[in-house]
Amino acid sequence: MNIYINGQNQTINAEQTTLAAALSLFLNDRQIKSSFAVAVNGDFIGKDNYHNTALQANDSIDVLFPIVGG
Amino acid sequence: MSLNIYGQSLKSRLLIGTALYPSPQIMKQAILASESQVVTLSLKRQNPADKSGAQIWQYIQEIVEQCQGYLLPNTAGCKTAKEAVTLAQMSREIFNTDWIKLEVIGDDYNLQPDPIELLNATEQLIKAGFKVLPYCTDDLVLCQRLYDLGCQVIMPWASPIGTGKGLMNPYNLETIRLRLPDATLILDAGIGKPSDACIAMEMGYDGVLLNSAVALADNPVIMAKAFAAALTAGEQGYVAGIMQQRQTAHPSTPTLDTPFWHQS
Repeated sequence: MNIYINGQNQTINAEQTTLAAALSLFLNDRQIKSSFAVAVNGDFIGKDNYHNTALQANDSIDVLFPIVGG
Repeated sequence: MSLNIYGQSLKSRLLIGTALYPSPQIMKQAILASESQVVTLSLKRQNPADKSGAQIWQYIQEIVEQCQGYLLPNTAGCKTAKEAVTLAQMSREIFNTDWIKLEVIGDDYNLQPDPIELLNATEQLIKAGFKVLPYCTDDLVLCQRLYDLGCQVIMPWASPIGTGKGLMNPYNLETIRLRLPDATLILDAGIGKPSDACIAMEMGYDGVLLNSAVALADNPVIMAKAFAAALTAGEQGYVAGIMQQRQTAHPSTPTLDTPFWHQS
């Protein structure tokens, strides 16, 4: 099924439908080890819930990292 | 005298941003030179190939450690209360802080805050346990509403973000200070030169938050020092009690026994 990660269309199979599985597929090793936070369809999902968050077709996942700001 | 932000006592009254510097090294030098203990930053999507984000985060962590300071994440780019609340929750998880510089923009042209969405987001975030530092316009009633909702810190703009135009409406800013004597007031956005910061402190503001004025200076490190000095000068001027303006001239040199003249 199709999902969107940071605006990019991605395809996942039936065994990859948890948020944790999708993140491990589409983030590289450096990103996985760094500080990030996640929202699905505009709602914050805490780290403790990555494994028990089931994704649906066309879900939009935002993975955000620290950056400079004013 | 120290700056109090939600019970946290800080030696410096300057809050400083991490964007727009010529290099991460200059950013670090400038922020340390400013003596600020509150450093703003943000969150954004990251291309997997882009390593600069991780590098910057490393620099910011080093700065905060060296100045024994605090992170102040912002919600830059948000246009609705829902977006801002989600971004605040994400920031709290990453940065492990309840502090949030709440920005909800209502107009892309001048990046003016949306007062309705700002109040809505503030209410939700305070209920969720956040310590909200709202970026707002210099509207007295809006500031009052934010204070009534529980914001101990209010951050009205001097002028639109990044313009460097300084204090557009000193009367409004003075009135906010007068009407909210117990709020911690931090002038945020639009500061261009050290004297702008000095004027805010002379008005009795508790602090100043800026970024572009230092980052875009020809020499950010020297400018950071200039701002630190300006804040100190303004604060001491306020504490010392500034003389009342007078309509007419008054000689400062005693006129009694003036030599030579008035002797016909």
